[in-house]
Amino acid sequence: MNAPKIPLPELMTSGHLACQGCGATQAMRFALKALGPRTALVLPACCWSVIDGPFPHSSLKVPILHTAFEAAASTASGLKAGLEMRGDTETVVMAWAGDGGTFDIGIQALSGAAERNEDIIYCCYDNEAYMNTGIQRSSSTPIGAWTTTTPGVHWKKRPKKKMIDIMAAHSIPYIATASVAYPNDLIEKFRKAREIKGTRFLHVFAPCPTGWKLAPELSVSMARQAVTSKVFPLVEVTDNGRTWKVWKDFEPTPVKDYCMAQGRFRHLSEDELRLVAEGIEENWQYLLSREAGSAFVPGLQH
Amino acid sequence: MKKVIMGNHAVSYGVRASDVKVISAYPITPQTQVVELLSEMCANGELDAKFIAVESEHSALTACVGASAAGSRTFTATSSQGLLLMHEIIHWAVGARLPIVMSNVNRAVGPPWSIWTDQNDSLSQRDTGWLQIYCESNQEVQDTIVQAFKIAETVMLPVMIVLDAFFLSHTFEIVDILEPEAVRPFLPPYRPARKIDTADPHSFGNLAGPGEYFELRYMIEKAMEDSRAVIERTDREFEERFGRGYGIVKPYRCDDADYVLVTSGTVASTTRAVVDAMRAEGIKIGSLKVRVFRPFPFDEVREVLSKAKKVGVIDRNISFGHHGIFYQEVKSALYGRTNVPVTGFITGLGGRDVTPAVIRGIAEKLIAGTNLEPDINWIGVKI
Amino acid sequence: MGEKITFKSYKEMPICAMSGADMTYNLTGSWRNVRPYYDFKVSPCRLGCPAMENIQRYIFLLTQEKYEEAWRELMEANPMPSVTGRVCFHPCMEKCTRKDFDQAINIPAIERSIGDRGLDNPGWMKKAPATKKETVAVVGGGPAGLSAAYYLARRGYPVTIFEADAVLGGTLRWGIPEYRLPNDVLDRVVAQIVGSGPITVKTGAALGRDVDLAKLEKEFAAVFVGVGLSRSRPLGVAGEEGRGIERGLDFLRRVNGGEPVNPGRSVAVVGGGNTAMDVARCARRAGAEVTVVYRRTMNEMPAIKDEIEEAEHEGVRFRFLAAPKSIERGASGPLTVVFQQMKLGDPDESGRRRPVPDGDATFTLSVNTMFTAIGEEADAAPFGKLLECDGNLIATKGEWGETSRKKIFAGGDVATGAASVVEAVAAGRKAAERISRMLSGEPEPAAEETGTISIENINTAYFTKGKRLLVPRIPLDEALAGYREIHTGYDDRMLRREADRCFSCGVCNFCDNCWVFCPDVAVRRLEAEYEFDYDFCKGCLVCVIECPRCAISTREEGK
Ligand SMILES: Cc1cc2nc3c(=O)[nH]c(=O)nc-3n(C[C@H](O)[C@H](O)[C@H](O)COP(=O)(O)OP(=O)(O)OC[C@H]3O[C@@H](n4cnc5c(N)ncnc54)[C@H](O)[C@@H]3O)c2cc1C
Ligand SMILES: Cc1ncc(C[n+]2csc(CCOP(=O)(O)OP(=O)(O)O)c2C)c(N)n1
Ligand code: SF4
Ligand code: SF4
Ligand code: SF4
Ligand SMILES: [Mg+2]
Repeated sequence: MNAPKIPLPELMTSGHLACQGCGATQAMRFALKALGPRTALVLPACCWSVIDGPFPHSSLKVPILHTAFEAAASTASGLKAGLEMRGDTETVVMAWAGDGGTFDIGIQALSGAAERNEDIIYCCYDNEAYMNTGIQRSSSTPIGAWTTTTPGVHWKKRPKKKMIDIMAAHSIPYIATASVAYPNDLIEKFRKAREIKGTRFLHVFAPCPTGWKLAPELSVSMARQAVTSKVFPLVEVTDNGRTWKVWKDFEPTPVKDYCMAQGRFRHLSEDELRLVAEGIEENWQYLLSREAGSAFVPGLQH
Repeated sequence: MKKVIMGNHAVSYGVRASDVKVISAYPITPQTQVVELLSEMCANGELDAKFIAVESEHSALTACVGASAAGSRTFTATSSQGLLLMHEIIHWAVGARLPIVMSNVNRAVGPPWSIWTDQNDSLSQRDTGWLQIYCESNQEVQDTIVQAFKIAETVMLPVMIVLDAFFLSHTFEIVDILEPEAVRPFLPPYRPARKIDTADPHSFGNLAGPGEYFELRYMIEKAMEDSRAVIERTDREFEERFGRGYGIVKPYRCDDADYVLVTSGTVASTTRAVVDAMRAEGIKIGSLKVRVFRPFPFDEVREVLSKAKKVGVIDRNISFGHHGIFYQEVKSALYGRTNVPVTGFITGLGGRDVTPAVIRGIAEKLIAGTNLEPDINWIGVKI
Repeated sequence: MGEKITFKSYKEMPICAMSGADMTYNLTGSWRNVRPYYDFKVSPCRLGCPAMENIQRYIFLLTQEKYEEAWRELMEANPMPSVTGRVCFHPCMEKCTRKDFDQAINIPAIERSIGDRGLDNPGWMKKAPATKKETVAVVGGGPAGLSAAYYLARRGYPVTIFEADAVLGGTLRWGIPEYRLPNDVLDRVVAQIVGSGPITVKTGAALGRDVDLAKLEKEFAAVFVGVGLSRSRPLGVAGEEGRGIERGLDFLRRVNGGEPVNPGRSVAVVGGGNTAMDVARCARRAGAEVTVVYRRTMNEMPAIKDEIEEAEHEGVRFRFLAAPKSIERGASGPLTVVFQQMKLGDPDESGRRRPVPDGDATFTLSVNTMFTAIGEEADAAPFGKLLECDGNLIATKGEWGETSRKKIFAGGDVATGAASVVEAVAAGRKAAERISRMLSGEPEPAAEETGTISIENINTAYFTKGKRLLVPRIPLDEALAGYREIHTGYDDRMLRREADRCFSCGVCNFCDNCWVFCPDVAVRRLEAEYEFDYDFCKGCLVCVIECPRCAISTREEGK
């Protein structure tokens, strides 16, 4: 057999409690493969607090500190400080939160930690709703989506929050989006993040078959299509928020195909779908302009 | 070395003496000087600790949870709204069995905004599993911080040290400053058995089913119970080393007292002055300061109060729809053991002065027994 | 598998919720409704290849840079990849899944590279010793006979090849010109085959003239007849025997024999098959203006598509729907040939529409030479008395080349009529296998699994569109200046590049995807394979979708 393209050692075990086809689980497995065993996790309330398994068991072979829903970044800040003061300067501390725990309830603590440039990795695995509690909208839920709190004609009318912009505005050293459909890229980004000091923000797209009314076997293909339809662009922001890089080397696929595979979008009419697609294209153009603008941001020239 | 310092700085000196490693706190009047001096101490190297200047009290306490879970000694300070913002994590620290020490300056809760003292903030946290110790002097504040770490790290529960806003926090008193070197033999560095450690990975705080949660809660209560002896022993040891002890409760002239006023915080000092004055007039009155509120000192309270003819409890707090909180607790301690009548007095909310005259009024009302409501007697409220 | 920890008393518990073991006590396999399992299919290309070459596998081996193993794999099905890699009509590519994505894999180009590498590495071919006492006679040294001889010899049977001609090769030598298949390549192929085991060659030994089939039947344990088609079909037009008219095959034989030819300035070639194409192209090389006249249309031409294109490329002109009607010739000078204009009528037994005269419409061509190439047929004289025939062809049953005589087998053009090299090779191999089984008493092999896949089963997201890599060629003027081989073949880099395009349809090529994407860590990556851990597989089937090549199938649990 060939040498594996992704690291062999497994820091996640079988038997965990994730649903069939769970993207959050893949995300964790890849991230830990990249970061290695000298990683300590902080897990706020999210699906992963269940996936980990019930006491006295755990599906991860790295230490985990479970914490309150909104407290991932602050707990991680403390954990890092505590480890350092105990003489452990090597362990990488990673806060691992859902989109709800990041975009919504945890954004304050995250902003605080990022502003202080705490030496932590903060990973948001994004399944675009509160899945743990049964599919409620978050500010990461995309426009058009059904959730149990955006039902029927009240499907979500507002676009997903521009989290990467928010993080870039904090002038932290490393920000990247990644997708479980591109494990090599994901792993490379986590590895890169591992070597950087300061707050590193990774935003990983992680499909949730249950919450998206999606056949579980399609979860990775959805993640891939999210990228190729520009719904979830792969972006890297370096140089303390100044330099933006947008990955473009893919065959574009229609937003409509992406949406129609998922029950949560199936109520959309042709017109509504077109609006959704337009919004996505607009965001894409916006990202390209950020990328193009990278070179002209004042302060870069020094 | 003795210094004249404010109560808030006494907190900071207690932290300095305790060789704390991670501090995370957020400013709020009237606690702000605690944070300021600690940042200063960290900056000038007087204290080898990391100070995490978080964006909220919620984060302050969660940072402490993280740091403590990592195996470092941690401290935070807050007051009122800040404490309430911490509430979720107040519980968390207990369930996680983390020996965090916190100082809370008792401040009334809004609205309306009030920065003045009363106890509703800390007492609203009474059921969370934190040990609570109410102090009445700056010296006691500093010393109790040091004791608190030793207690917390022995029973693996967090401890809250409580001091009155302004009456203590901003009052300057002479304090015999504890030096870290002197304290170290009393309070050796924190070396927890369980911690976040990549060499020995465990998951902390994950889902527990009904089959396990119950036992975990049982163990918290057991630790609370065990802490009574630990508090006593720690106080004794402290006294042996430093010549100052505070007890779990502080009875004053109670041995032959017919009437006993139960107090806490700075009201206790005022009350002792009133007791002395009334004793001089031949009234057999005493006072009982409840220092340790959690765990509640049932035995000590019973022992002192069962000898009295009448007991009055002064509460600078109220449990709406019920009574004063110390009053409830004292009653529950005595229930079924003695028939001594207990009367509740609520006064001083939102920083209203509890002067010797107010206390004397309470004492006289108690002794006279006329116009006495059975449970709540509002003292000084403009009706 | 882990143990579940249970506590009988709080005293056994840590004071806070702290894990003491992993989750592997929790057998999530019980959640599964559908189970994935590795199920390698037969790649469509293999089903398209008459010789059933394991194309996927040798391409896979190439991608692993296991050249010798790739060659061995290929030689299992075809003993002359250097030949087929140059001249095959490659029906495999018609079936290639990649055709429905961008362009089919250039399978013959790959095959040729592997074959040539085998020729360049004589050490790879280890001569098989004679381990069997039963001897086999092979009559005819074309691809069918050579293939039969090879697979028998590799199994240890001493083989004697009886060939009427002075050299082996058959149509490969006398039919196909050198610009497609150089003699030296053919020589090396033949030498490799003959040297591969206990093979004795008797040339100048024609069946019916020098050897007798009944005698062979007696002397040998088995006989394979692969004498091909030796006679050109006549036009059936008055005057076809005489000056200025030559049978295409004869012309090719002269060309291939190195004889200088001069068909004159203007040439017509009648016919639409490979012979017609090669005759036309040889005539171009001899300096003629060439017109191919075919009685149907381009679509019905039996010649290999590539050959038609090559001929066009070389300046051969075509006239369709026309057949010679009469020939007028003087004592010297060009002939005048009158052609009847045709149209397509009802389909004939081959399924192609039959050409019928289109009224009285005619046209004439004035040519120096007209070549006839309307087909070849077998000469049944040497075997017709002993074997049941189907017309002039030997009648065979089933796919193994059995004839009416138990010990006599037949294959190649003599059994099928004009076909192809690869079909002759396949027939030779199959007959060899059958003979071997007959002689050794081995049981018949179980029917092969032929479950296959199509483009719908490929996860095309894992592939980027591109183009088939064409085999480099010499410039047209150089090609027309002589008989130099036109296509020069892939270099290593090109070989690897084209091999990398292969989807590996239906067969695992260790891409790791199933292992990588399993959210439940239920795919074990072992030394040389993957294994599902059904204790934990939840049956999400992500692996099934993410396997780019459909090497995993599913089955409902409990069924
Ligand atoms: C001009 C031409 C071009 C072609 N081009 C292609 C092509 O590009 N691709 C392709 O796939 N196919 C091509 N074909 C067809 C292909 O060559 C044949 O289908 C194939 O060679 C058949 O192989 P075979 O072994 O059955 O017969 P042959 O190749 O004809 O071999 C028969 C052998 O038997 C010998 N023989 C004949 N009679 C006797 C006898 N009485 N006793 C002993 N030996 C005898 C012959 O000398 C000869 O060696 C072409 C055919 C021709 C004529
Ligand atoms: C303070 C608080 N509010 C609400 C909850 C309930 N809750 C737990 S997880 C969750 C949603 C989590 O959503 P997200 O962060 O997106 O993670 P996911 O479950 O989707 O993986 C909610 C609302 C909670 N645990 N704590
Ligand atoms: S892609 Fe490869 S395996 Fe698939 S049909 Fe084509 S040659 Fe065969
Ligand atoms: S996914 Fe890749 S490794 Fe797995 S079976 Fe398919 S080809 Fe083989
Ligand atoms: S991806 Fe894993 S869990 Fe899902 S079906 Fe395949 S082996 Fe089973
Ligand atoms: Mg979510």
